[in-house]
Parts: sequence; C-alpha cells; structure tokens
Amino acid sequence: MSTVDLEAKIPNNVGLRDNKRLLRALEKWQPAFLQWWRDMGPSDFNMNDIYLRTAVGVGKGGWAHFDYVKMPDYRWGIFLADGVEDRKIHFGDNIGASVWSEVPGEHRNRLRRLIVTQGDTEPASVEQQRRLGHTAPSLYDMRSLFQVNVEEGRHLWAMVYLLHTYFGADGREEAEAMLDRHSGDSDSPRILEAFNEPIDTWLDFFCFTTFTDRDGKYQLASLAESGFDPLARTTQFMLTEEAYHMQTGENGMGRIAHRAAELVRDGVDPMSVGAIPLEMIQRYINFWASRSMDLFGGEDSTNAAESFASGLKGRYREGDGIYRDARALESAYQMKVPDGDHLVDREIPLRRAMNALLLDAYRADCVRISQRWNRDLQKLGVDFQFEIPSTRFNRNQGVYSHYRFTPQGEMISESEWTKRHHEWLPSQKDRDYVKSCMVAVHEPGKFANYISPPSMGVNEQSVDFEYVKFH
Amino acid sequence: MSEQKLVYVCEGGDCSEKGSGDLHDNLKEMLQAKDPSEEKVRVRRYPCFGGCECGINVTVWPDRLFYSEVTEADLPEIVDQLVADGPAVERLCNKVQPDVEEMVWSLLDSPY
Repeated sequence: MSTVDLEAKIPNNVGLRDNKRLLRALEKWQPAFLQWWRDMGPSDFNMNDIYLRTAVGVGKGGWAHFDYVKMPDYRWGIFLADGVEDRKIHFGDNIGASVWSEVPGEHRNRLRRLIVTQGDTEPASVEQQRRLGHTAPSLYDMRSLFQVNVEEGRHLWAMVYLLHTYFGADGREEAEAMLDRHSGDSDSPRILEAFNEPIDTWLDFFCFTTFTDRDGKYQLASLAESGFDPLARTTQFMLTEEAYHMQTGENGMGRIAHRAAELVRDGVDPMSVGAIPLEMIQRYINFWASRSMDLFGGEDSTNAAESFASGLKGRYREGDGIYRDARALESAYQMKVPDGDHLVDREIPLRRAMNALLLDAYRADCVRISQRWNRDLQKLGVDFQFEIPSTRFNRNQGVYSHYRFTPQGEMISESEWTKRHHEWLPSQKDRDYVKSCMVAVHEPGKFANYISPPSMGVNEQSVDFEYVKFH
Repeated sequence: MSEQKLVYVCEGGDCSEKGSGDLHDNLKEMLQAKDPSEEKVRVRRYPCFGGCECGINVTVWPDRLFYSEVTEADLPEIVDQLVADGPAVERLCNKVQPDVEEMVWSLLDSPY
C-alpha cells in the first residue's frame, strides 16, 4: 500500500516531497485555493469547530478519520487509490495494451477537457451552497453540509493535481481558471448549467446531492475505468467520498418525505405546520432529476464514442466484465427519438450511445432510491408514490430538448406544456413556500419541523451529539 | 465449465455499519484459497443496492442470487455454492423487495 505523507503542507500519497517542481507549483496554487475558500466557500461558520471526516489514507477506513476541525484548517490532500500491477486497457480500440502513466499525445486535448469539466463541478457546488449553513435544520445537517463542502474542495485538489502534473503550462492555467469561474456569474459562469443553479433551500440541497452528485458518481465511475492510469486511480478514491454525499441527499429527502407523510397520516396539512407537502417534493424531484440528466450530454454523441474508443472513458463498471462486447462494435442502442409530433424508433451505433447507456444506469439507480422512499410512505400508510421522471422530460440537452414531454415520457404540444408544467415543476409560489420553511435550529438533537431526525448519528455518535460547536 | 461468476458485496452505509467491509475481505480470502486466479469467481464491492433494511447484501451473477442478511457464518456455504456449483443458500434469498433485485439485474443483464 502507498505511503501517505500527512506531515507535508499538502498531505499526499503521490510522493510530492520528491517532486520539487510539482510541489512548488501546487504550493503556489494553495494560497489561491484558500483565498477562494474564504471568498466563495461557506459564507460563515469558518471559525466554528465542526465534527468532520478527513481522509488520512487510501486503505480500509483510512478515508474516515473523525475529529473537530475548523473548515479553513481542513487538510485538503491528494490521494490516489493504489495502482494495480500490469494493468491493461480493458475496452475500446486499445484493448489489451498497457495503461498509460503519462498523457498520450493524441488524446491530450480530450483528456484535458474531461478533467477540466469534471474539476469545474467541484468548486461550483461549494459556491452554490455557500449560504445554506445559515438555515441548517439541525447541527447534524449542518455538519453534513460542511462535510460535503470540504470534500468537494478536496476533489478540486485531485483534479488540479492531474492538471499540474500532466498538462504543463496549459494545466496550470486551467487550474487557475477553476478558481476564476463562479457559479451563476454572468461573465464567467461554471461550465455546466446545473452548477449555475442557486441552491438556497435544504430541499434543493438534498435534491442536488441525490440527483446531481449521482451524475458525478456515474461520470467518476466511468473515468475510474480509464486507460489513463492516474485519472483512474484519482477517481476511484473520489468515489468513496462521493458515496457519502449521495447518502446525505437520499437520507435527507427521505427524512423530509417521512415528516410530511407522518403529518398526512395524522390528518394534518403539512403546510399548516411549516412542513413540505409530498406533491411539492415530487415537483422538486422532477426539476433536479431532469436538470441532472442533462449533465450526461447528448444520447447520440461522437465525442462519447471517441472517448470510449480511445480507452479514456468506459461504461459503468466496465472492468467487472459485465458487457458482452468490450469493443462495443457489434451492436446498436435502440431508442425512440422525436420526429415531428411523434416518436420513431432509431438505432444508434453502440459507441455513439455511451452517454445514453450511462444515463440508463443512472436512472435505474434513481428509481431504486425513489422506491426506498416509497416503502417508507407505504409503511406509514400514506397513499402516495414518488416517481422519477422519464429521460425525455424537461430536457435542455440531447435528442429530447426542444420538444415537450410529460414526466411519464408522453409527447405533448407546447400549448399543453404551457397549461400544465406547473403541475410538474416547482412554481415561484412553491419556491417561496419552501424558502419560508427554512429555519435554523442550533440546539443539539433538535430538528426543524419539516424534517425528521435521522435514524442514527455520524460515526456511532448519538443524534443529539454536538456536531458543530459555536463557542 | 460453468460461466465465471461475479459476486458483489454491498458497501452502502447500512451494510458497511454491519461489517460488509470485513465480510468482503473474508469472502475474497476464502475464495482465493480455492480459486487463486479468479477463474471461477470474481468478488467486487458495490456502492449500494438499496436493500438497506436487509443488509448485508451479496449478489451472485449470472446465477441471479440475491443473498440478504448475510453474516460471516454463512460464508462457507456461499463459497461452496460459488466454487463447487453447490445449491443456492435458500435461507438467504427472497428477503429484499423485488424492485431492488430488478435494479441490479437490469445492470448486469445488459444486452450490450
């Protein structure tokens, strides 16, 4: 197992101590990162002690060391999963060749774009969530928010390490640009649209961590298959932290739904006590799920085909050998596409349908989560079921953009959309109401009235543990 | 020769709390003793199946077996099933909701 240098200014297991040039470059970037954290990270609470998990190693349990930390003192480090000896590329045209430990010249631009696009999302989400701490529904949730924030900061470090190490002056410029673009900035926005949406309520935050971070999981998982070994090893380790973010969302949404369902069961209108009705939660699900589906890109994509062919980006869990054709040359992906006012069947050569395949795996995962929430509603005896919208609904990217569909995927006219879209997506009134529910609760073990307590605390601590210390 | 099996051990939050990390390592070690080059069985971790109430969950593909509430004590029988093509460990099957199983099989039974 690789040795982790925890004493270094930048904790790492990549031998920074022995690479003076790289060390100097990263130490030069570090103050800019800390300044960005102060300017664009959580807007307050930086002097409070937060019970945070810090990665101190890549082995079993090494990523989960808990202690009180002030956020600016968090040890943002660079960690790669341990390498596999004699690893081979296992998909695409270069199948069977040794993986690359340096950037192959012919794929340089494509790789850089993949890394920059992924990297840009990491600081973006911290910026989107920077004011949320002020309305945390409990200390438990406030801790979760800050845990997600510092780890997204660490993921930025991971991508910046790759840019600095393997892409020379271009990479250094890209790393600086990551701190110059800002979420929602009209002059210099973040690259992907969903990362320019404001996240100003905890319902949005839990939707974001359920649906948008889950896109991140699928993108990272497909990069973890990469023939560019440093990228594969970096993203493999990031996935362990990303799992916590999705769990935060999944559990948070489940707890908001549980609270609403308890009230419905008891004959109380959730809106009469500052809780969020199930129908309104469904509209938020429709919004964030569809916005996150856009992040997968076009269903028919030559870019995706080239990334697969060159061995840079595989399918979800490609390395487990679950696909019949590792070159993806022998079959076609079937899908229905709009043609005028109706849908027709179309076959897309499989390589060009890589984004669609990944999106299918993502949606199946989202359905699994909604079914988990639904089982809880059923247990409470409430007759309501959440649904994940069709991949056609409310899309701004891909073959279904410019057309209108119901959440069930039925094609409709523009006039019907105009009449009905407020049934499916949050209205301004919904947003104002949800905002009005956001009240800060700072007493250990107490929760705002729109959300149930979790079933257990963090790291075997109790739910009423003092996760954030204000003194 | 029977098809190579792929075993996933869930490492979601609830399963991890119940010790799925150790269970994964022990299963892998027991299998390694009988199948050192992973010719018959590969064991991998899986982020979360969503059958959290029934953890620890373990799946076997292409046999389409979804074992739930698995403990260390069940491992010898599971290893027999995997390596010697023994019978499924029935007492561990059919515990999760069918839709949870379906999600896993829809991924693994990819037509591509």
